[in-house]
Amino acid sequence: MSASTTTSNAAAPGTPGWRDWQSHPERLELVLLAAFVALLVLAAALLQPAFLAPGNLRDVLVQAAPLCLVVLGQTLVIIVRGLDLSMASVCASVAVMATAFNTTSDRMVPVIVCAGLALGAAVGAFNAWLVVRRGISPFLATLAVMIVLQGARFAYTGGAPSGTLPEGMAALSSGVVAGLPVSTWIVLLAAGGCALFLTRSVAGRETLLVGSNPEAARLIGLPVARRIALAYVLSGMLAAAAGLVLVGYVGIVDNWTGKGLELDAIAAAVLGGAALSGGKGSVAGSILGALLLVMVFNIMVMLGLPVEAQMVVQGVVIIAAAATYAVRQSR
Amino acid sequence: MTPVATNPAQPVARAWRPSSRVPWRLSWRDARVVLAVLIVALLAAGAALAERFATAQNLGNVLEQSTTLGIVALGQTIVVLAGGIDLSVGAMMSLAGVLFAGHVQGDAARFWPLLAAVVALGAAMGAVNAALVNRLRISPLIVTLGMASVLQGTALLLMPTPGGSLPEFATTLTYASVLGVPTSALLLVLLFALVGLWLHHTRSGRRVYAVGSDEHAARLSGVDVFRGRSVAFMLCGALAALAGTYLAARTGVGDPRAGTGFELSSIVPVVIGATLLRGGRGGVLGTLLGVWLLSLLSNLLNFLGVSSHVQWIVQGVIVLVAVMLVSTGRVVRRAAP
Repeated sequence: MSASTTTSNAAAPGTPGWRDWQSHPERLELVLLAAFVALLVLAAALLQPAFLAPGNLRDVLVQAAPLCLVVLGQTLVIIVRGLDLSMASVCASVAVMATAFNTTSDRMVPVIVCAGLALGAAVGAFNAWLVVRRGISPFLATLAVMIVLQGARFAYTGGAPSGTLPEGMAALSSGVVAGLPVSTWIVLLAAGGCALFLTRSVAGRETLLVGSNPEAARLIGLPVARRIALAYVLSGMLAAAAGLVLVGYVGIVDNWTGKGLELDAIAAAVLGGAALSGGKGSVAGSILGALLLVMVFNIMVMLGLPVEAQMVVQGVVIIAAAATYAVRQSR
Repeated sequence: MTPVATNPAQPVARAWRPSSRVPWRLSWRDARVVLAVLIVALLAAGAALAERFATAQNLGNVLEQSTTLGIVALGQTIVVLAGGIDLSVGAMMSLAGVLFAGHVQGDAARFWPLLAAVVALGAAMGAVNAALVNRLRISPLIVTLGMASVLQGTALLLMPTPGGSLPEFATTLTYASVLGVPTSALLLVLLFALVGLWLHHTRSGRRVYAVGSDEHAARLSGVDVFRGRSVAFMLCGALAALAGTYLAARTGVGDPRAGTGFELSSIVPVVIGATLLRGGRGGVLGTLLGVWLLSLLSNLLNFLGVSSHVQWIVQGVIVLVAVMLVSTGRVVRRAAP
């Protein structure tokens, strides 16, 4: 937990003027969000001292990994004024595809991973085509793709997926390397990559500009369509990665693997300060948003509250977070 | 964050979008004609392909089965026309059904007062949605997403598994028919007609269109934008609650998951009916035709033995085709969802 928090903020301290909250209000937001997540971790530790046991923390990280991966993709798409409702469907489709290989040989794991990522990229590219070339609103385009994928998946499996997974897939999520679960390493890698892309690469800076003002971006000659398309393709690939991690975690595949992830991811991105109007969003914020949701869930479970109560709390948290950002923005 | 629907001063973001100009794009008025033609074509094809398709019995079933979706989609249409979206309708349906069946408990005397109370609760929740969008300037998508979570959780807390019961006459009523036409279909047409008349011939109805087509211009012209949006969300909430009670009456129990999926499937007929998702264009007639087209198609595919899984694919493709064909109109305000 604390590992990703510190890593995502690591770039910032030390740089001169980092605490200039006036000109960088979003940094203050990040710090507050991180503090809030830390508070939740503390609360969890007080409620149940066993929470901080390394084994348990690893479990929490493994459990948080799919949402963290999906929220990264959702953030990229939200930055270019889009939404990706097809992410959970991609997760499940990749999971079903993994069983379609019907192999127990661990040597097939890289093949399954590559095929899954390729499928995610293909779906992302199709979303991008619909949004960019056909001018369909992202909400509808990805909604329709979600429905089509769902139909294709069910038609293929006939309702109940069958087939075996290689043992090696489990290592993808809960295998431990250097003290951290493999899935956490995957998240760190993906988050680091996305953060570098958004803050240090030309294409990433252009993506943010395209999101904040597409017309201006077009006028200064930026490849608007390509930047938007890239966001959707990356989003599809990250959804596929989440699907692969989930398959390894759960061990069995069903047609609804990852159900609800796309909406949780939107909530997490908004918690992390991404604006649906585009041009605003950060990797650190989104990961913190995802961790916040996971922590809230964990604490509710510890308190012995039913899952239903967690839904109510999550809804209130989403609205409250969005309201906080909106009110601050309008001042 | 700059809210999507409440920021009027967004730059015109059209030119960057190289969407190909298809010469045969339809205006939303023509789209309704196309829908009607498609429905007739489906009827003809169905009569030719399946023996028992074009019977009064089966068509009555189709109409009956489309009522729930129709009521929710009607509410969704109003909100979409006002430039919003309501993802909480499914959860509202579940909650309404649970409250209704749970408190009526088979007592006929409590039926009507509770029906009114539950529908009023739906309107109240719609008012909360609208207040959050209006006052806090949060995008409707996020507000109603959060609201959906709250309402669904509440429904499950109140009644974890389907329960409650409704008086005999309620179920009979939903299955009754007048001169061969199901009463539920008559109710649906009546609701659509009322809302259609309201939208086109009253001040508050026109306000909904004004808010949806250009909020900034509407405000400058002295239109009470907040009120227009509030009325739209309240009607949508009330209609979702009504759909929930209808479903409960039809099945005889309150199911806390009865509305699952309706939040997205209610948008499909709206879009097929050529109402633009960014608001201000379209109408309820298109939605009604869209609902019927979808029900007919699914019924016909069932007759032909096509699995419901493949029907999803068909539905998705229909949405894409519909959106690609319908003209996006001239004024493009924003590129956000």
